[in-house]
Amino acid sequence: MDKENHSSKPIIISIISLTLFLVIWEIVCRAGLIDPVFMPAPSKIFARAVKLIGNGELMAHTLASTRRVMVGFMISSMVAIPFGIFLGSSRLFMSICDPFISLLRPLPSMSWIPLSLLWLGITETQKYSIVFMGSFAPSLLYIIEATKSIDPLLIRAARNLGASKLDVMREVILPGALPQIISGLKVMLGIAWTCIISAELVAAREGLGFMIMNGKEYFQTDTVMLGMVMISITVMVIDVVFKKFERRLLPWTR
Amino acid sequence: MDTLNGQSKICVNNVTKCFSSKQGEVTALKDLSLDIMDGEFLVVVGASGCGKTTLINMIAGFDSPSSGEILLDGKPVTGITPECGMIFQQYALFPWKTVQENVEFGLKMKRIPKSERKTIAAKFIDLVALNGFEKSYPHHLSGGMKQRVSIARALANDPEVMLLDEPFAALDAMTRQVLQEQLVRIYEKHKKTIIFITHSIDEALLLSSRIAVMTARPGSIAQEIVNDLPHPRNADVQLSDNYMALKRKIWDSVQAEVLKSMEVETG
Ligand SMILES: Nc1ncnc2c1ncn2[C@@H]1O[C@H](COP(=O)(O)OP(=O)(O)OP(=O)(O)O)[C@@H](O)[C@H]1O
Ligand SMILES: [Mg+2]
Repeated sequence: MDKENHSSKPIIISIISLTLFLVIWEIVCRAGLIDPVFMPAPSKIFARAVKLIGNGELMAHTLASTRRVMVGFMISSMVAIPFGIFLGSSRLFMSICDPFISLLRPLPSMSWIPLSLLWLGITETQKYSIVFMGSFAPSLLYIIEATKSIDPLLIRAARNLGASKLDVMREVILPGALPQIISGLKVMLGIAWTCIISAELVAAREGLGFMIMNGKEYFQTDTVMLGMVMISITVMVIDVVFKKFERRLLPWTR
Repeated sequence: MDTLNGQSKICVNNVTKCFSSKQGEVTALKDLSLDIMDGEFLVVVGASGCGKTTLINMIAGFDSPSSGEILLDGKPVTGITPECGMIFQQYALFPWKTVQENVEFGLKMKRIPKSERKTIAAKFIDLVALNGFEKSYPHHLSGGMKQRVSIARALANDPEVMLLDEPFAALDAMTRQVLQEQLVRIYEKHKKTIIFITHSIDEALLLSSRIAVMTARPGSIAQEIVNDLPHPRNADVQLSDNYMALKRKIWDSVQAEVLKSMEVETG
């Protein structure tokens, strides 16, 4: 982290390249070289942003999607972490659950959308379930892998100091696997966003995916692109928050 | 072998241990018998691969004999035994716990209240002279300091027996000497039964009250030697005729076994 702070040059170069890109894009659009329905100018997207921020729509959509991702992802992680640690430390339970995990894992979250709509309708629960189904099996696999990476000597040492098998899971396997679990969950959070946007694109009444799809219906390309930009920004912000949280959780890796 | 009160703490009776691996069956130990008295400092020396770690792992209950039995206080060892505190060559400290939390680990497992744990941990951190490092994480410590934490962690749990598998092998000579002296002081003060594994004959002579030399693989006990050198085993003792004579005796015994093991390996 020190090295990054020492020189600000790369950041300045990045800002310049981004600005340059936007300026060229703006010029090309203003010169009338591209049909605005095909590709609106950045200034038009910005104007749309100002408008939608003003009437509160943009915030509402962003919050709706973020809430869905967070609830679905939290539930999925809260189930996957203990379950994964348990599976990773018990061969018997692993063999019992292995066929189900293997069957669930290759299913893209998209493929759950029709079934979830039949079961739950266009509801919030349906959105959470899509995030859950899309991220649970891969999270579980990440966590099982993470538990297997623990040095068996540490488990021996703990047992030798009087730890029961349950103590070992809580005191050794969980904290030992935590760095890997967290980096796995970071990837899963990205996947959770993919899940929710696709669910919203198919059927929703609010959310960034809905906003994009709705913009498309009215040929508002600027709304569509604004929605996409908003997804990027939100995921980036959440990533930063997640990193802060990660450092809190892993004081010993500093 | 009537060094102290003549009571066996650990009895290893005709233990054989076979491992089956892809290369086939390996007999690590064959008909090994060894009695360890209460309060004794037994050092086991032997060539690499003769089964020293296998033996100590079975005493700790990490592994079980293929045949024969191991008794602790007359009762067979069937599972992992916290009465035998293990100290590993690789320290095996929990990287996510501070020095203090590491030392408190065994007490926490016994569900001892926090304040009491803290008092006990402080005592043992003090014993291994690590005051001021209570809040440090293991990766900030040197190898010697890590091994001292590991010793404090084992002692805080108050085991009756301490098992040390080449605990100082990865340390530099100076640190090793400091830790050897500390271990002897701890042994004299806390009256534990100690089984200590090493490659070094000098280390064996400095620490032990008795030395067991193992044969080449399949391992068994080649010779047991009582070490009655006076304490402290300072430079004078180490230059004495007595020391030299003992060293020669062990050396001959170990060397014969090393040669045997090399013959086995080269066919
Ligand atoms: N889990 C295992 N599976 C298969 N073979 C094993 C296993 N553990 C040990 N062995 C074999 O048993 C023999 C004795 O091993 P052990 O580790 O006890 O030797 P050691 O005396 O401790 O050696 P060193 O001085 O190098 O530590 C070796 O030949 C080793 O290859
Ligand atoms: Mg060994």
